[in-house]
Amino acid sequence: MKTLHIVRQSAFNTNDLAQCMQVLGNDDVIAFIDDGCYNLQHSLINNIDRDKNIKLTAIEQHASARAININKDVCTKITMNDLVSLTFENDRVITWQ
Amino acid sequence: MNNTSKSLAIINAKAPYSSTAGKDALDIALIFGSFEQTVSLFFQGEGVWQLIRKQDGSIISVKDYLKTFAAFEFYDIKNVYVCQSSLKERNLSESFHIDNIKVLNQQDFATELTSHHLILRF
Repeated sequence: MKTLHIVRQSAFNTNDLAQCMQVLGNDDVIAFIDDGCYNLQHSLINNIDRDKNIKLTAIEQHASARAININKDVCTKITMNDLVSLTFENDRVITWQ
Repeated sequence: MNNTSKSLAIINAKAPYSSTAGKDALDIALIFGSFEQTVSLFFQGEGVWQLIRKQDGSIISVKDYLKTFAAFEFYDIKNVYVCQSSLKERNLSESFHIDNIKVLNQQDFATELTSHHLILRF
């Protein structure tokens, strides 16, 4: 049972990402959208439990608009259409906003 | 629970008086309860402030929706969970203005939360 976590806020501004990380399960997916893309610059993402095989994704347009570089070794670039697909591929969705 | 009904989890993550988030979450919970839908409440981060004793919104001219928490049992809302680490971070004891609250460590909190089909966060 996988969960898609849509993170819309920057960890520089709120605790949303930290709270999200507290409830991550195996094979969950995180999608950074809107100001959530700033989290790619935050050290918190280095603390995500690698053993849980968490997949990080970010909306390419949202990151590019903010001049945030998506390191493909860490995070997968996605489109809005991909995000819609992710909502179907996962068992549930939590929007952290 | 039959196959056609889905369980709802509501995460409360905001302090009670700075926004309408807590009241909105309560309204959703009571509506689901009214229609005999399975609903559980989770309090995490700043949301744990909604549960502490001796709050009085009337002092700052805010309608005190927290008193309505006492009606959870009437609405058949039996599962209320609190994040233990959020309490500790704020130096809060496990003493709340309603009864039958379950304080869970991080692992159990995550397990309970993700046992629900639908999850809303306010």
